[in-house]
Amino acid sequence: MTSPDEPGDTGSRPPSGEPESRPSSDELESRLLALGDSVEVPCPPPADVARAVRARLEALPARSPQEEAPGADPAGPARRSRRPRALLPAPPGRARPAASRRRRAAAAVVVVLTALFFGATPAGRAAVVQILRLAGVELRIGDPGPLPSGMPAPLPGEERTTLEEARERAAFPIAVPAELGEPGDVRVGDGGRVVSLLWPGVRLDQYDGTLEVVYRKDLGPPWPEEADVDGSQGTWIPAHHGLSYLPREGGAPVAARIAGPTLVWQRRLVGLRLEGVTDRARAVQIARSLR
Amino acid sequence: MESVGTSEGVPTDDDEAIARSLAGDLTAYEALVARYSVLAHRTAAMLGAGDEAEDVVQEAFVKAYRHLASFRRDAPFRPWLLRIVANETHNLTRSRGRRAELAVKLTGLVPAGADGAGDPGDPENAAVATDRRTRLLDAVRRLPERERHTVVCRYFLQLSEAETAQVLDLPLGTVKSRTSRGLARLREEVDRDLT
Repeated sequence: MTSPDEPGDTGSRPPSGEPESRPSSDELESRLLALGDSVEVPCPPPADVARAVRARLEALPARSPQEEAPGADPAGPARRSRRPRALLPAPPGRARPAASRRRRAAAAVVVVLTALFFGATPAGRAAVVQILRLAGVELRIGDPGPLPSGMPAPLPGEERTTLEEARERAAFPIAVPAELGEPGDVRVGDGGRVVSLLWPGVRLDQYDGTLEVVYRKDLGPPWPEEADVDGSQGTWIPAHHGLSYLPREGGAPVAARIAGPTLVWQRRLVGLRLEGVTDRARAVQIARSLR
Repeated sequence: MESVGTSEGVPTDDDEAIARSLAGDLTAYEALVARYSVLAHRTAAMLGAGDEAEDVVQEAFVKAYRHLASFRRDAPFRPWLLRIVANETHNLTRSRGRRAELAVKLTGLVPAGADGAGDPGDPENAAVATDRRTRLLDAVRRLPERERHTVVCRYFLQLSEAETAQVLDLPLGTVKSRTSRGLARLREEVDRDLT
C-alpha cells in the first residue's frame, strides 16, 4: 500500500533514531489500519446474502445480465445445474493451451467455492470427504493420495526482504511472535499478499484476505483438530500434508509441496499458518505470543 | 469489449465467475456474491448505510448483476462492485436526508502492539490501547464527510488510492488531497489528546 501524500506534515512527534519506530505520519496511518481491523460491522452469513440476491434475480423478468452480454448464449449452460461438469465447459477452441489450462484451473476454483457454499457435489464427495475453509485456507480432507514430492516452488514474485520493508509493502499489519523473537529471514510474495517469517525449521506465513482461498491443503488422517488461539478458532493439522498456493491473480496453483504439522488461524482480517512446530501446545503458545 | 476467448492475460477466478454469470449462470454469481459480501457490508456501513447496510448490499448486488455486461473484463471487479455499493449508500443517505454516519463499533479485541500501547496482555496497557482507539475512532467520526470517506476507504477498507478514486468517483488528485487533509486533522486531534 502506498502512503498518501503528506503535504505540510509537521509530524506529531519527531522521528526517533530507534530502529523499531517509524516516522509519525506512518504511525498514524498504521494506527488507522489497525483501527479499521478492529471495528465491527454486522454482516449476515455470505451464503445467505448470495441466496437472497439469487432469489431477487430469479424474480426479475429478464434474468440474463444484459442483452449485449458478449458470448452469452441464451441456450447455454443450464442455469440451475450444480453439477461440476456444467461449470466446466470446454474452453473456447481458439484459446491457447496454456490459457485454457489456466482457465480450467480458475473454473475449478469456482467449482470449489460453489461446492463450499452450496454443498459438495456427489462427485466431489467421492474424492474428498470434506472441505473446510477457514482463515484463507481450504482443507480438503479425505484420501489425498501420495504426498507431493520435489522442491518447494517459491510464491509468485517472492523476494527476500527485511521486516521493516515487509511492513511497508504488505497491505496488513505484520505481527511477530515474542516466543520466537526476530525472524532469521523475511520474505514477501505475490505483490505483498503473503509475508513469511522464517526461523530455523519454523515458518510463519501471514496473508492478506481471509475471504478468499490463499492456500489449499490436501490431507488424510490423522484428522485436523480445533485449536483456540486467543478466542479465535484455529485448526491444528498434525499430519504431513500437501500444500498448494493459489495466486491472487488466479491461474494455476503454485506446485504442491509437502508441509509439516501446521497451525492455521486468523487474527482479525489476517490469516496465519505456523508450520514446523511439531507440538500442538507449543504451536498455540507461539501463536498467542504475537505482538 | 472483448469476448472471453480473445481476452489477454491470466483469467482470474472472478473473471471465470463473471463469464459464467454473463451466460446466465446464477450459481456462479452466487459464488461471487458470497465472496464479496463481507467487504460490501463493511463498505456500506462505513460510508453511512447504518442499519440499512443489508438492503443496500443486496440492491447493489442485484444492480451489479444487471449491469455486468458493462463491466470491463480486464479491470478488477472489486472496485467496480464497491462503487455500486458506494452509490447505493449515497442514494440512501440522500433520500433519508441524513448525515452519512460512520456506522461501526469497536470489537472487544485489543490488537497486539498495533497501536503502540505496549504489551496487550497487560490489563493497564489494554485499557490504554482501547481508550486510544476509541478516541481515534471518534476523531474519524468527526471528520468532514468528504475527508472521512477517503480516510475510511484508504485505511479501514484498505483500498489503494486508485481504487478509492474509482469507488468514490473522484479524481485521483482529489483522493490524495482529501486524504492528507483528513490525516492532518486527525493528527491535530491526536496531538491535542496527548497534551
